[in-house]
Amino acid sequence: MSIGNKIYAGLRGDRTIWMVLILLSIFSLLAVYSATGLYAYQKYGGNMEAALFKHLVFLSGGLFLTYICYTLHYRQYMRISPILLIICIPLLVYTIGFGVEVNEAKRWVEVPFIGLTFQTSEFAKLVLIIYVARAISAKQEYIKDFQSAFLPIIVPILIICSLIAPSDLSSAMLLFFVTIGMMFLGRVALKYILLLIFLGVVVFAMLIIIGQVYPDLVRSATWITRMQEFMDATSDGSYQIVHSKIAIADGEIFGAGPGNSVMRNYLPAPYSDFVFSIICEEYGLVGAFVTLSLYVLLFFRCVGVVTRAPKAFGAMLVMGLGLLLVGQALANMAVAVDLVPVTGLTLPLLSMGGTSIMFTCIAFGMILSVSRYIEKAT
Amino acid sequence: MAVDIRNEVLRRVYMVLFMVVLIALVIFVKALKITITDGEKWRDKGKNLYVAHKSLEAERGNILTEDGSLLATSLPFFEIRFDLNSTGMLEDDFYDNLDSLSYCLANFVDNSYTVGGMRDRLLQNREAGHRNLLIKRSASYLEKEMISKFPLFNKGQYRGGFKVEPKPKRLRPFKRLARRTIGRVKGVDNPFGLEARFDEYLTGEEGKRYMFRAPNNTWIPLNDLTEIEPQKGDDIVTTFDINLQSAAHEALLRGMNYHQAESGTAILMEVKTGAIKAIANLGKTEDGYFEVYNYAIGSKYEPGSTFKLASIMALLEDGHIDLYDSVAINRGKMKFYEEEMLDASKESLLLDTTTVRRAFEISSNVGIAGLVNKYYGNDDEGQARKFIKRLKEMKLHLPLNIEIDGEASPYIKEAYSKEDKWSGITLPWMSIGYEVELTPLQLLNFFNAVANDGQMMKPYMVSEIQHFGHPVRKFKPTVIDRQIASPETIRKAKILLESVVENGTAYKLKTSKYKFAGKTGTAQIDYRKFGSRRDDVKHSASFAGYFPAHDPVYSCVVVIRNPTQNGFYGGDVAGPIFREIADKCFAQKIELHRALNERPKPTLVSKQLPTYSVGNRTDLMKAMDYLNLPYETHTDTDWAVLKSESDTLNVFKRSISEEVIPNVVGMGLRDALFILENLGLEVVVNGVGKVSLQSIKSGTKVQGQTIKLTLK
Repeated sequence: MSIGNKIYAGLRGDRTIWMVLILLSIFSLLAVYSATGLYAYQKYGGNMEAALFKHLVFLSGGLFLTYICYTLHYRQYMRISPILLIICIPLLVYTIGFGVEVNEAKRWVEVPFIGLTFQTSEFAKLVLIIYVARAISAKQEYIKDFQSAFLPIIVPILIICSLIAPSDLSSAMLLFFVTIGMMFLGRVALKYILLLIFLGVVVFAMLIIIGQVYPDLVRSATWITRMQEFMDATSDGSYQIVHSKIAIADGEIFGAGPGNSVMRNYLPAPYSDFVFSIICEEYGLVGAFVTLSLYVLLFFRCVGVVTRAPKAFGAMLVMGLGLLLVGQALANMAVAVDLVPVTGLTLPLLSMGGTSIMFTCIAFGMILSVSRYIEKAT
Repeated sequence: MAVDIRNEVLRRVYMVLFMVVLIALVIFVKALKITITDGEKWRDKGKNLYVAHKSLEAERGNILTEDGSLLATSLPFFEIRFDLNSTGMLEDDFYDNLDSLSYCLANFVDNSYTVGGMRDRLLQNREAGHRNLLIKRSASYLEKEMISKFPLFNKGQYRGGFKVEPKPKRLRPFKRLARRTIGRVKGVDNPFGLEARFDEYLTGEEGKRYMFRAPNNTWIPLNDLTEIEPQKGDDIVTTFDINLQSAAHEALLRGMNYHQAESGTAILMEVKTGAIKAIANLGKTEDGYFEVYNYAIGSKYEPGSTFKLASIMALLEDGHIDLYDSVAINRGKMKFYEEEMLDASKESLLLDTTTVRRAFEISSNVGIAGLVNKYYGNDDEGQARKFIKRLKEMKLHLPLNIEIDGEASPYIKEAYSKEDKWSGITLPWMSIGYEVELTPLQLLNFFNAVANDGQMMKPYMVSEIQHFGHPVRKFKPTVIDRQIASPETIRKAKILLESVVENGTAYKLKTSKYKFAGKTGTAQIDYRKFGSRRDDVKHSASFAGYFPAHDPVYSCVVVIRNPTQNGFYGGDVAGPIFREIADKCFAQKIELHRALNERPKPTLVSKQLPTYSVGNRTDLMKAMDYLNLPYETHTDTDWAVLKSESDTLNVFKRSISEEVIPNVVGMGLRDALFILENLGLEVVVNGVGKVSLQSIKSGTKVQGQTIKLTLK
């Protein structure tokens, strides 16, 4: 029995999801290696391997986390979720106040003693989704009730989202829509969901007003420019969008080939926000199709898990995480092809960035854990 | 109930799934649209905006004289600018180095600023956001190196804002010499001269480099795309001899100044090959005489008397006359139809007839025109055609296609052609060089063919195109016509040209040092307008000839337009310039003199053999061979000693080391100096003869000492 077979036999859970994870990791290495041209030139004096190595370390660490999360029973997550939620809130507040500013956005906190920075919103996303999954599944019997079911669910959502929003609106909105999606799946009454959306809009409007008064606190100015750029039909789009489109067009059907990207030198953050454009440039429409398919496939498998146990906490968790990962992926790609305004959302697992990879891997681990134990139960 | 819940959840799950697939599809379709439908637009945009294709100028090739001296060369100069707001420049770096940089710039680069002034200037420019402050427009390589080491600049382009762009300068080390012929390409509307004609060789191949403009406006050379290194241009080796060119220029300039002429040209050509050795052109400007136009090649004129050579040769070739036949002079006056032709020579006034030779010597218009009219005229179209045919056989109607653009074509009328306005007096006037037009070079080439025993060569200026010293193309001498006239005619023509100098219009130019041959020419410019013998008539004075007369090596022509002072005759104005050039040639060119060893070899009178000679082995052997002295060689070293033993001479090895002082006793001074100075020694010499004593013993270590040599 070869090692590969051993691993295969040893790994339980949805094997297709494992495969998606592995393929995305490999793609990730390829894409990041290609995309880091300028980044490596400026930071490592042309040493592309250094950037790649760093990414490889994160990926390996991430996959290790996946394995750990996969081995834990998913009910463990349910159990600790209220505590995590309580930790999460002050952490987000701290980020707003004392976070490290990168690219004009305060999304990071420095972990004491290690010197590494850490994106708190990524952590908060997971925590909130676990919490909402738990709440929905626990209150399934009276889910259509306002006071006993709806309110306890939406309060943490509004708090967490409005804490993330000032520095990272797109993450907050994504999270907001994911939780709405979860509520929709969890049979929450549609009138309440509409109410929640309305509340979201109110909070958003308040944030914009705060942003006008305290620009340091809320990046509303950036949002407005990006919206304006997107709405402006006369121009080809912002600098980023133009270059993203050039990259996609340059790839044509089969792409320019690995490492032959030209636009990586012009696109800001080609290794994270615009990694999809680089994939298109180097691997063409074929690459774009495969990438899209992998995420869609992931969602299909998540749905597969749900069909087996639609009521349970596990199902809600898988749907929430699936929506988060796939939703973020689609949002990122939609930005690259100029369907939505520019956001700062990364392409889960494909983009370079430690925190993002880490929590994406944890999410994968949780999904796999659910699939594994549901497998066992049925 | 539970089933209802399950079904409701599942229904909603499938709705969400449908949404996800739909969004994914929309994204893919949008990507398709960008790639396929709008693909061209975006791809074009990408190309135009950001893949910069920077061309790198290749170093221009040199133009060389025949011996490799530089006539035109490109020297590297650099334009230095300061990017005060380079994105890579650190705030601290700028302010930390501001004072010392200002000090350096004010003291070593631009003295018009004080240190403080320079500091203010830098500060102001930085605050104004300038990124391209000129530091020095054309810095030499050494200056560039110095400036690059200044504080801040030493951090390079990105961090230090130090920007350098090569701006090569074209230099002509010999300044004005042959300026029009060498030519110019840059900075003129119409490039001219050899620079223009050989531009494609000289330019080399432009290099190409793909640069990417990164978002922060840094340019990154992209090495993984093809980068084409610029290829240095080829060198053009001319036939010019810089010493002779200088001589021609100087002589012409002196003549121009003396006679205050309008313009003038002098060309020197190698008889056997047609290689142009020197070409000087001077035109009058407000600031004196300069090479403003290539008169030698670009302007044609009525040659006047120099053309009589062609007329006489046509007569000789057709067997109409011989050198000593009698010819009518008519006391220097003859009427052709209504036009009266006059002789300039005072001697003509006394003569009724003379010999053909004498008529040519004194350049009698009446004599030559009379002969031509007698044999080719008389309203006989066939005869006139014959004369024109002879001229064409001498290739006087053909341009030379010299390597410089702008050659004027010669003008020879067709017999009885209406187009050419052939008239009854055309033939006689043509025979004395009017109603025909030639450039100075075309005239010279005709004389050169006579000097070259009838073989007409194509004049050329470029002998070779070299790439890094290796010939890529060679231009050999080209024959235009093997024999422009019979050898007999050529022989007689040469006699005539020699006698012009010996007894004729150029006798004042005669020298005892060497013999030369030639013909004077004095033509009235626009004589038709003024009529002859009018005071305000302008002249063009010329002299064409070759030297040495017995075995011609060089031919030369001098044409001076409109001399206004000190005479106007060809013999007085152009002749002396010709002589001066010829004199310089003799002074500089050994091959013009008969070699000593053409005479019988000397024999040793006494039995005295050289006893002890040290020197270069090949030199010793050459001397022995020349003296027909048998010897035996025992070595193949560079240096040798010659010793006589009983009745044989032996060449032995003399070893010269590089570490110790050699024994130079017995050597000639030339060899001794060569060896000792190459070792880095200071040599002091006393006496005459061979080295008999050296102040430092051989075998002493070389340390740059001073060595005294006593010669005896």
